[in-house]
Amino acid sequence: MTLLEAREVHRVYHQGRPDEHEAVAGVSLAVEAGALTVLSGPSGSGKTSLLTLLGAMARPTSGRIFLRERELTSLPERFLTEVRRRTFGFVFQQPNLVRGLSARQNVMLPALPLGLDHAALGRRADALLEQLSVGHRARARSDWLSGGEAQRVAIARALVNDPEILVADEPTANLDSALSRQFMAIAADLKAAGKTLLLASHDPIVTDSPAVDRRVAMRDGRLEGP
Amino acid sequence: MILNPSVVALLGGSVASGALLLGGAAVGAGIRAGWDLQSGSERQLRLERRTVLVSLLVRVALALQLLLLFLLVFTADALAPQFTGAMCAAGSLRAAPYGYPALLTGLLAAFLSGLWLVLDHADGLGHDHPLLRVKYAALLPLAPLVLGQAALLALFLGGLKPEVVTSCCGSLFGEAGRGLGADLAGLPRGPVSAALVGAVGAAILSALLVRRTARGAPPSAVDAWSLAASAAAALPIGLAAVVSVLSPYLYELPTHHCPFCLLQAEYHFVGYPLYGSLLGGAVAGVAVGLLQPFRGRASLADALPALQRRLAGACAGLLGLFAALAAWMVAGSSLRM
Repeated sequence: MTLLEAREVHRVYHQGRPDEHEAVAGVSLAVEAGALTVLSGPSGSGKTSLLTLLGAMARPTSGRIFLRERELTSLPERFLTEVRRRTFGFVFQQPNLVRGLSARQNVMLPALPLGLDHAALGRRADALLEQLSVGHRARARSDWLSGGEAQRVAIARALVNDPEILVADEPTANLDSALSRQFMAIAADLKAAGKTLLLASHDPIVTDSPAVDRRVAMRDGRLEGP
Repeated sequence: MILNPSVVALLGGSVASGALLLGGAAVGAGIRAGWDLQSGSERQLRLERRTVLVSLLVRVALALQLLLLFLLVFTADALAPQFTGAMCAAGSLRAAPYGYPALLTGLLAAFLSGLWLVLDHADGLGHDHPLLRVKYAALLPLAPLVLGQAALLALFLGGLKPEVVTSCCGSLFGEAGRGLGADLAGLPRGPVSAALVGAVGAAILSALLVRRTARGAPPSAVDAWSLAASAAAALPIGLAAVVSVLSPYLYELPTHHCPFCLLQAEYHFVGYPLYGSLLGGAVAGVAVGLLQPFRGRASLADALPALQRRLAGACAGLLGLFAALAAWMVAGSSLRM
């Protein structure tokens, strides 16, 4: 079943200026529910731009994005924020944890605007950190965490609102091979738990992982192959 | 022209509001003409981004209209000592041509601006811009009105000269005088009082009936339209009653009907909450009826009844405040007529 779909999507930066650049050029793509899909391709191929469009973090220049049958790109910002908050979890190239806050507090952050019971939210954050094997570091300040620990805290943060879709942009770019394999093992577990995963990466550890259901190659803003 | 900070603020505010609204109405007309939510074309997506900005600019312009109405009255009152014969804003507004036309068009513009702001707010409650075409169509007559008001205001302020001999409020709003003010002052107290109690009472009662509608269900058409009609009637009747009935009690002078002296410190600035609550209550009440035809829009099915309930509550509260102030003016007076 198609969960997320891009229809004839274009994304042009600096439109109308001399440095105009079309990062995504008429891409149509359907992402299946419960599958792990990887966008691959060299730097500048448009993976990150397409990922931000599919993840409702940016709006296309033209074309539409659908979440099931619900059209996302025309939604006023407050509706889109709600969709983004409840449907998508984001993992970035850098963990982007808030310095000075503990790992647990960082995980709780995206759920705070929902006004949930604070104690229950704290227990959920602890459970996620435990699930990702960093429960013992819950009270540690984020700037004291190692790279692998910080990445797992970032994954826990992406999952705190129990999103249907986990979007990750170059999640292994700053991890060594062992940690990259560990990340893919976590991704496989999440897929097994019913999550839909959408990753952008050119790391062979990611693209060649047996957990990947579909590889979508990109070049010059377009999809390659069938 | 008399240059002081209030005059500069009035002129600057009205020019800024008119310019923003003119631009907003023009762009809004373009958005309305090209809007096609089914299309994913570059043009449509550009219009979707643009409507966010245009709505914001128009909101600012129209909110400014509401402030400018009260600033005009305040400024006219503050300038009164500069004109021979003027005791309050009534004389200042007569000290140059277009003073009263500027005030009356300002009142109309503020009332319609309030309604547009409610319409825009309701549009933002639906995920698919459900009232976009309606709200931009409504801007087309509103923009010329606001621009006309800005022109009248500029002509009035530009024509003001110090030491001009003008009329005092006693002659402008005296029962023996001529003109609209004198006509209002000469209205029979009994029927005007009855009309005031009837209109404000009916509006508050209708608002409470709308509030009593089950949560999530739209108010009945009868309740919504009764509220809109009675709230619309309450505004002119309330203004007439201030001149005809209420102000003599406040001044404790049966022949003093001025609707502006009550804005002064001597009378605890009671005019500002009195007029503010009347205008706000009328806008909120009329807006309930204005939104009623759109209750069938799918994306507003949940949000619109809740908004109508909130507006009805605001109407009841504001008109209740107006009624309380009016009752205080009469009951607290030693004048008996």
